[in-house]
Amino acid sequence: MDGLRLGEILRELSFTSSLSDSARARIGEIATLACFPVGSVLFREGGGNPNFFLIREGRVGLDMNVPGRGPVRILTLGPGDMVGWSALIGSGEMTTSAMALENTEVIVCPGKKLMELSASNHEIGYQFMNRVAMALAHRLTSTRLQLLDLFEDPPPVLSAMRGESRGER
Amino acid sequence: MTEQLTTQSEHPNYWVPHPVVIEKVRQEVPRVATYELAFVDSATAGDYRFAPGQFNMIYVPGVGEVPISLSTDPNSRRTWAHTIRTAGNTTHAIEQLGAGAMIGMRGPYGTAWPLESSAGGDLLLIAGGIGLAPLRPVIYHVMAHRANFGRVTLLYGARSPDTMLYRDESDLWSRCGVEIETTVDRASSDWQGNVGVVTLLLARLRELRIQRTVLMICGPEVMMRHTVKAACDRGIQHDQIWVSLERNMQCAVGLCGHCQLGPSFLCHDGPVFRYDAVAPFMAIEGL
Amino acid sequence: MASGDPQDQDMVARLLPIAALDELLGLLRDQGYEVIGPTIDQDAIVYDTIASTDDLPRGWTDEQQPGSYRLKRRDDDALFGYVVGPHSWKRYLFPPLTTVLVSERTESGWRMRSPEEESPRYAFLGVRACELAAIAVQDRVFAEGDYVDPIYQSRRNNAFIIAVNCTQAAATCFCTSMDTGPRCRAGFDLALTELSTGFVVEVGSERGAELLDQLALRDATQDELNRANEARHVAVTQIQRKLDTSDVHDLLLNNLEHPRWNAIATRCLSCTNCTMVCPTCFCSSVEELPNLSTERVERQRHWDSCFNVDFSYMNGGTVRNSIRTRYRQWLTHKLATWTDQFGTSGCVGCGRCITWCPVGIDLTEEVAALRKLT
Repeated sequence: MDGLRLGEILRELSFTSSLSDSARARIGEIATLACFPVGSVLFREGGGNPNFFLIREGRVGLDMNVPGRGPVRILTLGPGDMVGWSALIGSGEMTTSAMALENTEVIVCPGKKLMELSASNHEIGYQFMNRVAMALAHRLTSTRLQLLDLFEDPPPVLSAMRGESRGER
Repeated sequence: MTEQLTTQSEHPNYWVPHPVVIEKVRQEVPRVATYELAFVDSATAGDYRFAPGQFNMIYVPGVGEVPISLSTDPNSRRTWAHTIRTAGNTTHAIEQLGAGAMIGMRGPYGTAWPLESSAGGDLLLIAGGIGLAPLRPVIYHVMAHRANFGRVTLLYGARSPDTMLYRDESDLWSRCGVEIETTVDRASSDWQGNVGVVTLLLARLRELRIQRTVLMICGPEVMMRHTVKAACDRGIQHDQIWVSLERNMQCAVGLCGHCQLGPSFLCHDGPVFRYDAVAPFMAIEGL
Repeated sequence: MASGDPQDQDMVARLLPIAALDELLGLLRDQGYEVIGPTIDQDAIVYDTIASTDDLPRGWTDEQQPGSYRLKRRDDDALFGYVVGPHSWKRYLFPPLTTVLVSERTESGWRMRSPEEESPRYAFLGVRACELAAIAVQDRVFAEGDYVDPIYQSRRNNAFIIAVNCTQAAATCFCTSMDTGPRCRAGFDLALTELSTGFVVEVGSERGAELLDQLALRDATQDELNRANEARHVAVTQIQRKLDTSDVHDLLLNNLEHPRWNAIATRCLSCTNCTMVCPTCFCSSVEELPNLSTERVERQRHWDSCFNVDFSYMNGGTVRNSIRTRYRQWLTHKLATWTDQFGTSGCVGCGRCITWCPVGIDLTEEVAALRKLT
């Protein structure tokens, strides 16, 4: 893939736009562009996945398998989002399955090469991991909001006393 | 000596509701229905006007009274729709009464969404759950005055696909130039749309014209606060953001004390507020 | 030692002999007023219907401290030798329980209407300066905003006010800090200052003047005016408590998370006494009262209090879920946000909340503590 075009893409993509020019350049050297047609799988839950992805266009759904319920979609991701951070952190075993919900264009960074780059160049490593940490923190907050079940209808509160309904007079 | 306070005839008893009939009931999603109310007295119908964002007090004699936002076209002339979730005694009674029953309605009360002052700008409407109901009149207004606004976007988050309101109207809204993106907290097995909180839709929204955007948010308070944060991360200022707040309301005219948040009476200074006016008070727990 | 109050030169002052007070009350009754005045009930001086001056607490006084109220015998026969008790005039203008709507079932549904009640005509005897200020505060709330309470308005228009200038102060009084007293300046039809030989009476309205003209009264002598001045000045010198209001709005609103609120919360019982005795508190709730056949329903408004647990209940939860948050709401509303809402403080310095708090919380002390600790 043309290095210049990739550099441009990395400059525009929200995940990488705030990195320094040199960081982007080095990442650009190890990254490639790829296309996942609708319905194709980026990685499977429980399996290995050597790649860290950044979505440029399209949509990816993350599913977790619940015995008895089948695959449950827990999150959808779009342009600017990272997918497959388990390739960098942890045992490399994926916690979700990722499927392209539309024709999706991604930037592919082999996890091993990213980690080698970070180890050999701590400045770039720090910048990159900082971005990963921020994205994970953001995802954690969003997950907590999902967990709060804010839109859940509380069960109707009916009281036996005349007119003494709590809050409705 | 104290001067005579203004005479009685100039100030009718604000407690007296107008009799209205539930003309039609449309079940929306489990425990939520839209009730179309018609005034018994047609002269009242002729005079009644409301602005998007305002609410009525809906009264069931012998049971109680609840504040419900109007969720209908502001150009309504005959019936006025209110989307109501059954949550307590009075809303339960309304659900049980159903079409044909006579109840009471007084209003409209409260402040409205800033449709006049946002003309010429882009509207970004963000709704969560039943919070879409008080924003629906805005969409009607936009459809009737589309040329007054630039880009109009609705970001809507619901718990699950089967609790999304007004799904059968989204085609019409889209055709009238409202861009719609939806998301759910919990997907069903056949849902192919977005999954995740509605703030993620805001983070990903493309080609946002920050300077000319007016943001109107309605939903649970936690959701509104996080949406505001996501908006500020995109560069939108507090004075471009409007929220609709909720508190215990009984008199609706600022005289019973229940609906206070700091110095504001929500029934009178709200429920629609520009965010910079209420931000410091919303930040304090239990205020 | 006359205080030289410039107001004294402006007002017409006559002398009302003690014996003539009953005649005055009789004239009011002839005009259809029900006379409400101070009287002793259950060891306290309350406001109730009085038939004559015999019902007044002649020769009694009150001793008040945080959490304490006691009646004591005086060594004279003064009719108004005390200050304020647990009642305020708001119970007559803004009744504790009243019907605001009547709904009657019809063939097609409901007929909903105002209750057809004639508004009572009250003559209030013995209204103190702080209470005149409190009535003015409630006027602003109920009758001078965008929405007017018709019940308050008609009772208020019908009310005849005979004020009484305080000639002493209780330990819990702080009207001087709130600039509401102890001198009665305006808002009354007649104002009395009690001397041992009679009342110096000032006219504050045309209605008051017309009533007074029906009694043949002579002007008060200079000596009587001087003695009235001195008597009123005693009240000023007896004030012990102070509340610095110069910065109280921002002091409270800038310290909403101050640890002092936690300290108060360990003492406060959230019992609502303070709001019940406060002459300006106006929170209320409404309830449905159907008759047995449910054919007729009354919507009743009753006094409520921000200290009640359910006061801020909404959608499955209570916003102010602790004594700390509820006490904070009460005090910040009374002294700070009230000003934003109505242009005046909500407090008139009557001291009732201090006296009638079962644990003796003193808001003048709390404000001073907040100020010192920030």
